[in-house]
Amino acid sequence: MTQNDAGGSAPALRTDRLGRRYGHVWGLRDCTLEVPAGAVVGLVGPNGAGKTTLLEMIIGLLQPTEGQLSVFGETSQAPMAARLARVGYVAQDHPLYRDFSVADMFHLGRAMNPSWDQQLALARMDALGIPLKRKVKSLSGGQRAQVSLTMALAKRAPLLVLDEPVSSLDPVARLEFMGEVMAAAAGTGLTVLIASHVVSELERLCDWLIVLTGGHVQLAGPADDLTDAHQLLTVPRATPDAELPGLVIHRTDSDRHSTVLVRADPAGLAAQERPGWQADPVGFEQLVMAYLQRPSKAAARDDTAQAAARPGPATKAVTR
Amino acid sequence: MIWVSWRQHRSQAVACLGVLAALAVYAILLGTSMRTAFGQDGLITCLARSQGTGCRAPIHAFTDRFGSEVNVAFWSVLLILPGLIGVLVGGPLIARELEYGTWRLAWSQTVSRARWLTVKLGLVTGGLVVFGAAMTALITWYRAPMDRLTGHFLPNVYDFEGLVLTAYILCAFGFAVLAGLLLRRTIPAMVAAFIPWLAIRLVVEFVLRPHFQAPLTFNQVCPQNGSCFGGEGLGIIPPVTGHIGDWVLGSGSGQLANQSGNTYLYQPADRFWTFQFIEAGLFVLLTAAALGATIWLLHRRAA
Repeated sequence: MTQNDAGGSAPALRTDRLGRRYGHVWGLRDCTLEVPAGAVVGLVGPNGAGKTTLLEMIIGLLQPTEGQLSVFGETSQAPMAARLARVGYVAQDHPLYRDFSVADMFHLGRAMNPSWDQQLALARMDALGIPLKRKVKSLSGGQRAQVSLTMALAKRAPLLVLDEPVSSLDPVARLEFMGEVMAAAAGTGLTVLIASHVVSELERLCDWLIVLTGGHVQLAGPADDLTDAHQLLTVPRATPDAELPGLVIHRTDSDRHSTVLVRADPAGLAAQERPGWQADPVGFEQLVMAYLQRPSKAAARDDTAQAAARPGPATKAVTR
Repeated sequence: MIWVSWRQHRSQAVACLGVLAALAVYAILLGTSMRTAFGQDGLITCLARSQGTGCRAPIHAFTDRFGSEVNVAFWSVLLILPGLIGVLVGGPLIARELEYGTWRLAWSQTVSRARWLTVKLGLVTGGLVVFGAAMTALITWYRAPMDRLTGHFLPNVYDFEGLVLTAYILCAFGFAVLAGLLLRRTIPAMVAAFIPWLAIRLVVEFVLRPHFQAPLTFNQVCPQNGSCFGGEGLGIIPPVTGHIGDWVLGSGSGQLANQSGNTYLYQPADRFWTFQFIEAGLFVLLTAAALGATIWLLHRRAA
């Protein structure tokens, strides 16, 4: 996953021990990530996990309390306009000026973004059948979402950030919206970061996954690598965790058997496998749900163990 | 950014123009009839000869006829008008963005928050200065005949002529912008800005203004047998000093040797502009402090 910054091959997003504190509470802590350009990233976590905190720091709406952040090589110390130019942002609930018409919104986009693509904006509205003269307040929720997305796309930024883009939409509008995001991402090299708790929506879309709970990164990497690195084991109920290979992420006990999701590569698993065990591959949604259900204290313990070699205070997971 | 600021504030600009238009109609109607009456009553020649001592009757007739707009009710409405305009324009400037979540839109375009705010503040402040100046010009024009009798130190004259009216509007605006950032809601921000504005305004008017400069003293010698023409305040034309526009603050403590009479403290009429500069400077300073704090806070705090 390591790339160097030279020759414009800087990762789309790189964070190093990034943290943000609200008063005495950490909204996000110890977040270290590197997302390659062109990835479509699903950022999953329950409400209050720190998703919006991370996104707002990426955009520059929030300053990090600690750690480093860079978007296509622009760090949080770079001039604001340079940072803003790198990111197109669709905020939660798609905020637009209610008394503006769609044409006014695009006028605003043109006035506030040097790289604004008016052709793209007009073509999209034409394709979606949204009249430019309509006031924002008379648009449906789905149409508003589409106008927001269009504004972010017409900014022509290399990174598109979407914060819970479909949570307020009905199923049909959800499908349409995600379809538009897919179409925009396909073939343009656009890097997309979608925060959502609608896991099923992300599965079709994302080739990269970040799971965030309690202000900590639980899991981050290419979706295929992550599913490959986990196995779903069905073992006799009596089997203690200690005898299982790898790291136990989630365990469900039934009458006779236990279903355990472990983090272990298939080779290592094969070596340790015992008669009566059954190993199955893990699906995207299954994997995400297992990590979401994992108590954040357990995650924090792992982090502390991993962080033992590093300087700095022990991490403590606090939900915002 | 200029277009964006205009688009977001144009309804306020239209409302301000409406206020100006209403005021202009009133001012032209009243101003014209005042001018006609002033010429007909021979007041011009009378005032040219003396400070009005020789023509009490026509002066009283004139002030009785047109004095109703000098009255307290009128003054109280106009007293709060600059504050209302200031908070109505300033309150939503940041608070509405925070209230409706549109700050996430506004501040994620390729324009830094600092620039977004300074351009908006610059343009809106400029608009308010033009509005304040136009309102001042209208009021000064229509009141001109009356002002020749009363001078410019009456509260209902002083507060609407010269520089202070514009400064009052700016001050209320600055307070409301800052309150909007702190409270994040438009209506509470307007209220929270208006109350201290009115308090400061009244304290300055009734406590500080008489002492912007050390008052002068005037010794009035009374005739041995006659009653002494006296009285404080500004309503008497001419005041005890005998000069129209002198602002008599009250009796002094000095006792005249060997003569019966009174000592008065007063601010001479020609101090009007000095006082205007001092008071407007005070309110502009408060405006600058509030807007400076807003810029600093928005730059520093993240959301």
